[in-house]
Amino acid sequence: MSADKRHGVVGTSPPVKDAAQKVCGTLTYPVDFELAGMLHGAILRSEHPHARVLSIDARRALDLPGVIGVVTHEEAPDLEWNGTFFNYRGRIFDGIARFVGDEIGAVAATTPEVAHEALGLIAVEYEPLPAVFDAEAAMLPGAPQVQTAGNIREPNVVEWGDLQAARSAADEVAVADVSFGSQQMAPMGRNAAIAMWSGGSVTLHTGTQTPSEVKDAIAEAFGMPRSRVRVVGLPLGTSFGAFWSNNFMMVACLLARKVRRPVKIELSNTECMAHVKRRHEERCRASMGATADGDIAFIDVHHLFDNGGYGFKDDVGYLVLDLWGARVPAGRFVCQGVSTNLVTAGCMRGVGDVTMGSVVERLADQLAERCGLDPLEFRIRNQIRPGDELRAAWGGHLLRHDEQGYERLIDDVTRQAPAALRENWPQHFRLSSGSTVEMLRSAAEEFGWREKFVGWGRPYFAEGPVRRAVGVGTGIHCCGEEMEGNTDATVRIMKDGSAKLFCSIGRQGTCADTTQAMVAAETLGIPLDLIEVEAGDTDACPWSRGSIASTTMFRTGFKTWAAALDAKRQLLELAGREVFDCPAADLDIRDGVIYTTAALRAADSGGPLAGGVPIPYLMMRDREDTFGPTDSITGRPDFPMPPSMAFARHFAAHFVDLEVDVETGKIRLLRYLAAQDSGTVVHPKVLEGQVIGGAVFGAGFALCEQLHFDEQGRVMNPTLSDYKVLRSTDFPPEATVIFAEDPEPVGPFGARSAGEAPTAAPTPAIAQAVYNAIGVWVDVPMTPERVLLAIEAQRREHTTASGGR
Amino acid sequence: MVVRLHVNGQRHELDIEPHETLAEVLRERLGLRGVRVSCGEGECGSCTVLLDGVPATSCLMLALQAEGREITTIEDLGTEDDLHPLQQAFIDEQGFQCGVCTPGIILSSKALLDRNPHPTATEVAGALSGHVCRCGAYTQIVRSVLRAAEEMEVRGER
Repeated sequence: MSADKRHGVVGTSPPVKDAAQKVCGTLTYPVDFELAGMLHGAILRSEHPHARVLSIDARRALDLPGVIGVVTHEEAPDLEWNGTFFNYRGRIFDGIARFVGDEIGAVAATTPEVAHEALGLIAVEYEPLPAVFDAEAAMLPGAPQVQTAGNIREPNVVEWGDLQAARSAADEVAVADVSFGSQQMAPMGRNAAIAMWSGGSVTLHTGTQTPSEVKDAIAEAFGMPRSRVRVVGLPLGTSFGAFWSNNFMMVACLLARKVRRPVKIELSNTECMAHVKRRHEERCRASMGATADGDIAFIDVHHLFDNGGYGFKDDVGYLVLDLWGARVPAGRFVCQGVSTNLVTAGCMRGVGDVTMGSVVERLADQLAERCGLDPLEFRIRNQIRPGDELRAAWGGHLLRHDEQGYERLIDDVTRQAPAALRENWPQHFRLSSGSTVEMLRSAAEEFGWREKFVGWGRPYFAEGPVRRAVGVGTGIHCCGEEMEGNTDATVRIMKDGSAKLFCSIGRQGTCADTTQAMVAAETLGIPLDLIEVEAGDTDACPWSRGSIASTTMFRTGFKTWAAALDAKRQLLELAGREVFDCPAADLDIRDGVIYTTAALRAADSGGPLAGGVPIPYLMMRDREDTFGPTDSITGRPDFPMPPSMAFARHFAAHFVDLEVDVETGKIRLLRYLAAQDSGTVVHPKVLEGQVIGGAVFGAGFALCEQLHFDEQGRVMNPTLSDYKVLRSTDFPPEATVIFAEDPEPVGPFGARSAGEAPTAAPTPAIAQAVYNAIGVWVDVPMTPERVLLAIEAQRREHTTASGGR
Repeated sequence: MVVRLHVNGQRHELDIEPHETLAEVLRERLGLRGVRVSCGEGECGSCTVLLDGVPATSCLMLALQAEGREITTIEDLGTEDDLHPLQQAFIDEQGFQCGVCTPGIILSSKALLDRNPHPTATEVAGALSGHVCRCGAYTQIVRSVLRAAEEMEVRGER
C-alpha cells in the first residue's frame, strides 16, 4: 500500500502548532499547571545507597503548620509496576532504599516550602545494607543483591555464522576494551506531576514522552482498572528518555489519594539529575577481523551495562549490529544488564548505538587503516544496503524487549493483515530502504572530504601546538518497535470541515504534534491550519507506544495516515451517496472541498476547477439514512502495521573538521556536516532540528558529559555548573544538514524515523578526527585532561618501543 | 516587606518576603510564566529578563535588587497576535524545539541587536553563550537572530 504521491503540505516547513506560544512564553508546561485546592508535595529521599527502613516517625512533620499528610511504604500498595522495555521495575515504596536519593516517603503541604521543611522533621531509622556500585562487582558471587530477582539479567545474545573459523581466517584483527561513564539527560525546564482523585478514579497531569505507558504503570502500581486512570501529558522541556513513566509520578498519585486533594510534585533540576534516570555505565569489549582486502570477516562484541537501582534491562537496544553486521559472515553480540546501587539507568536517546556503536566504529577504523582503506571507502564496502539481511531480529536471536518476545508477534501481525496489503510489505528481516552508500558519497562531496582527509593519523594542518583533521562517523537506530502493543490513532472530521487527530505522543520539543497533523492533512486533503492534535489525554487518545525508540513519525505516522484514510473513505462514501451519486473511488478532497477525480484531473491539466462540494455543506445536509445532519466522522486504522523492527532503520553520517591543541588538550569543532536518511522528509526544518540537536547532544557525550559518583554512589555533579553541556560557542553555528531521501515502502508518504541515529554518529566522527589529528584514540568524554593523558601515554609507549628514555 | 517593581512598563507594589528571588516574584506573584526557571543557579539562562535593557538571570537575584530598574520579560516583547520581529524570526527559522530556553534567548538576542544591529554568526553565538539549549538548536537560533536583524533593518525599527 503506497500513500498518495501528490505532496501538498508534506515536504514544506510551516510554523509548528505551538510556535507562537513558545516564542511568547505562554505555553503551559507541567510547572505552570495548577488545580484548584492543590497541595504541594515533596519527596523524602534516602541518604544511604542501600538500606532497609526500620521505622519512620513523621509526627514532628505532621505537627508543622501547613503539613496535610505523609505517605511511606506502610500505605503503599504491595504491587510492582513496570516501565516500558524494562526501564523500571519496583514498588512505589517498599521500605528499601536502593540508591542515594531513592524515594522513601513523601509529604503534602499547603506550600512547597512547608513540604520541603517537613522532610527534615521526619525521623527515619535505617539498617544500612552492603552496597555495590559497579556492574562487574555486582556480578561476583556474594555481591549485595539490589533487586529481589537478583542483580544479573540473562545475557542477550545475537549470533550468526561460524565465528571461530572466521576469526582464524581473518588477516587483520582489531581489539578494543572501552568503558563509558554515564551521560545525564540534564533536562531543561522542570517537570512536575499533578495528581487528583475523584471517587475511585485518578487523573495525572505530567510531562511525559509516553502518556499511555504512564496510564498502564499507574493501573499496575495501584492494582486498579485502566478505565479509572486518566493521564494528561503536557508539553515538557527536554527529556531524551528521562520522562517516560517515573516513580515520582506514582508518588504524586499515592500522596493525592492519602490527602484526598490534588497534589503537585515539582522536581528541581538537581533532583532530576541525581535521582531520576541516566544513561547506563557501560563497558564494551569487542574485536573485529578483516581480510587483507578490507572485507570484515567477523565481529565479536561483549557489552556489559549497569541498570542502577530499578532498571531491569537485558539489552541496550543496539542496531549497530545491522549497520555493520549485515554483510559480515560471522558475528556475536552479547549484551548483559546488571543492577547496582546507583540511580536508575535506562534508555536514553540513541541507547546502545551511542556507546557500543562508537566502539564498533573504532574497530572498523583501525582495520581500515591496516588494510590501507579510507574510512569512507571502508564504510561503503562493508555497511548494510537495502535488501540485506537484518541481524537484530533474525531467526531465534531476537532483541527481547518484553516477556513475550518477537516471533509470536510477527506471526500474529502477518496473519491479520489483508493479502493486498501484505503484498506491498517489504520482506521481513531484510532492510527495506536506506541509502547508506549514496548518503556517504554525497555528504563527502559536500564536505570536501577528499581534500581534507590526508591519511590515517595525519592532520591536514599542523602549526605550533595546533593540529587540524577531519573525521567521519556513522549511526543507526530503529524506527520504533511493536513489542508490548501497537501504536494507534484516530481522526475526527467535524461538521465545519475542521479535523482533530488523537494520537498519544510526547511533546518534548520534537514538534511531533505538528508533523503528525501534516500527515493527516496530506491524507485528508484538509488544510493544516484546520487540523488540531490531542496528544496527551489518554481518555481521548487510543493507546500508543508514545514518542520513544524513534517511534513517532514511522509507527504513529502510519496509524495517523491509516486513520485519516478511513475517515476520508467514510466522508467520500457519504458524499457519493448524498451528493455526487457516484462511488467513493471517483471522489477526492482538495483544500477541504470534495470534487470528482475527473474534475480534479481537468483542473490539473489547465481547466477551471469546478463542481466542488465543501465538507461543511455535505456534513450539514440532512442524510437519507438518519434524516439529520452528520455531526462528525471518526476514522480508525482498519489494518495493522507490519513490525518495523523487522525491516526499517534510520541512518546518519556525520563529518567533522576539528582542531586539537596538543599543549592544552582542548578540542574545538570547526565545521560540521550531518547527513540523514529518514526517508521522505515531512518537515525539513523540524527534521534539521532533530539532526543538529542530535549532533550537539552526541558531541556533548563525546567531549565533556559524564556523571561522577562518590564512594557511596552519590551523584557528585547534579548541576549544570558541574556537569558541562555544549553551548552555542561550542558547536559550529553554521553546521549544515543534508538529507538523503530513500522513501520507505510502509512509512507515511515514504517517511521513516529521525532522532536517534544522529546522536550515535558524532562520537565516532569526533574520535576519528582526533585520532587523525594526534595519532591516538581517546576514550569519551574527550576532555582536555584525557587528551593530554592519551598523548603522554603514546609518547611513553614510543619512547619504550624505540629503547629511549 | 514592600517592594516597588517596574515591570513591562507597569508599576507594581508588592508585599514580599525579603528572600524571594526576582524569578519567583515575576512568576508566582505577577503570573509572568514566560520567565522560565530551569537550573535555578544562573547556569542555563532560561530565566533571563532584561534589567534596563541588559540580560540578567532572575533566578539568581533577589526581587529587592531589581527595585528602581526597568524590568522587561518576554511578555512585553510581543503577543501571539502581534509578534516582535525576533519572535517572528524564531518561528520562521524554527529556532527552538521544546521552547523552555526560548524566552530567555530572545531577550538576550534583543539586548544584542540593540547594541549591535548587524552581528556576525560568531557574535550571536558568543552573545548567547550564557544560555543552554539542551535540544541543541544553536544553529537555528543563530540563524533566527541574523534573520531578525535583517528584518528589523528593512522595517527601519532601529
